[in-house]
Amino acid sequence: MEQIVFGIGITALTGALATIAGSAEDTESNIGSQGDPNSQVQLAPQMGFLHRIFNKAIAGEPPAYGLWCALGAGLAWAFMAMQVNAVLAIVLGCVLAVFVQGVYATTAYLGRTASLAKFGQPVFVDVLTSMTSVTMAHAFIAIFATVTLCHLINSALGHPFPLPLLGLIWGIALGAAGSATGNPYYGKERQYQNQKYGAGVPISASGNIVRYAEAGERNSLDNGFFTHKIGGSASGVCFGLIVFLEIWRTILFEKVSAGWGAIVVGILMILIFTVADRYIEVWARKTYGPYAEAKVVS
Amino acid sequence: MSAVAAKPQAGGAMNPTAMAVGVVMLLIILALCWYVSPGMGLMALVGITIGGVLIGFGTHFVPVGGAPAAMGQAPGIATGVAMLAAGAGLAGLFGGAWAAEQGLVVATVTGGVGGGLMMAITCMMVNFVYVFGMGIPSASGKVAKDPITGDTQAEFKSQGTEGHGLPFVSFVGGVTGGFLGGAGGTLIYLQLLGLYEASLPAVMGLPPAQVIPIAVAAAGMFAVGMFLVNAVLTAYNITGTIEGPHDPKFKRWPRAIVASAVASALCGFVAILIVAL
Repeated sequence: MEQIVFGIGITALTGALATIAGSAEDTESNIGSQGDPNSQVQLAPQMGFLHRIFNKAIAGEPPAYGLWCALGAGLAWAFMAMQVNAVLAIVLGCVLAVFVQGVYATTAYLGRTASLAKFGQPVFVDVLTSMTSVTMAHAFIAIFATVTLCHLINSALGHPFPLPLLGLIWGIALGAAGSATGNPYYGKERQYQNQKYGAGVPISASGNIVRYAEAGERNSLDNGFFTHKIGGSASGVCFGLIVFLEIWRTILFEKVSAGWGAIVVGILMILIFTVADRYIEVWARKTYGPYAEAKVVS
Repeated sequence: MSAVAAKPQAGGAMNPTAMAVGVVMLLIILALCWYVSPGMGLMALVGITIGGVLIGFGTHFVPVGGAPAAMGQAPGIATGVAMLAAGAGLAGLFGGAWAAEQGLVVATVTGGVGGGLMMAITCMMVNFVYVFGMGIPSASGKVAKDPITGDTQAEFKSQGTEGHGLPFVSFVGGVTGGFLGGAGGTLIYLQLLGLYEASLPAVMGLPPAQVIPIAVAAAGMFAVGMFLVNAVLTAYNITGTIEGPHDPKFKRWPRAIVASAVASALCGFVAILIVAL
């Protein structure tokens, strides 16, 4: 009984850490403009719309976070093997991983922006100096939370995978959940704030992103501030639910009916999310209504 | 032929000769494995190949809209095919590896449910953001009616787009793809783990208890690597975006099955050679 209570406590802690990681990951990727919406940041100068938005999408979020989390976890694992205290080892590992992220962000911004020179897009040194440190700070939060939850899963819950491999797996899952949930909010709602609310961006408007703020030109810090409220929070809830429910069903129901208990609970949870998704879909159709009258086929 | 002159449908055409060559290559790799490691190695390679095929097939179900979906210009999840499939499948592998001691069937199904659960949560949150964050209902651009619910789609597409969000059939496709991917990744891991646990003590001259961490780490790394190989291979077959099982691109799956089988067999053969030679 005591072991189950301990397991539930660790599970709750990993869920909380995953929520923080998901939220920080999405905000970092939006400030750095790393997800799919960056296609518009890259396209805008080619359409004649020069801007001051950061631009570092030379890799998708999942492989990038897979690399950084595996690096942080691997270095932390090495420090722990050298008898360094676990907390200090994780902090040191994540700090070193964040330096790699900083190098990645700097070279990516310079490389991607330089490729747009023929369209007149300048490299803004002040954008580089003011934004990079902010993305690094958010990346540190995301990597630290992910490596810490991996350490808890490995050392406290006894998962067989070594820490670096868990870092790689959960880093990729973090990037996948964060980009899937957060990208539309940054791509449609923020970049195309001048388009109609409640509708997709017409393909003909591609590249015409919003470039001006209340005072002066819009920068990526504004984008992070805006998207964090819904996109970042939703990404955090998404990754937090994934980590928490996956571990929770295993800790509580793994011993029931030789492992089938965890499977049945997992299927039940999938059904619950299916019903919730269908409710959201039907609610939207009824509440918002169609954009145009349905055509009657004679 | 130039890219401009190429037929738009050319990407979906099946090439029987290429598929026959793929099957022959698969048989050659299996024969080589039988020659090098006739018993356990060959059985492991068959399991790895089945796991790779499950991943390749499952990736076709995952609704991925890429960059257009990020602007609400096309339905699907706004990220890459391989990346999303890998995220779901590896989350499944995490659960499957935890249940490895409970046998092949339980662990494989556990891995599948883990992948399906990850996709169910992600798909629901995607629709949550579209509906409550952006005020946009789901609409498919490929079918007039949702094949499962029968909901009409055309009137819910906003002007100048191909649709947006995740219609119910795409949600079901995502969960199915996550299940198949998680089960496939776990199957590869279990096959390699069994082989390494049996072979490494003799190869390294160490007691079995000492090689278990090495076997787990090596099998896990190979499983992750083979997962990415199959997911990326399938992404090339899909060429960009896919809405799910109702998308016309889904019909390309036989080609990906053959390619995944050959690629998995080749990668698995290399993984087996580590302990067979």
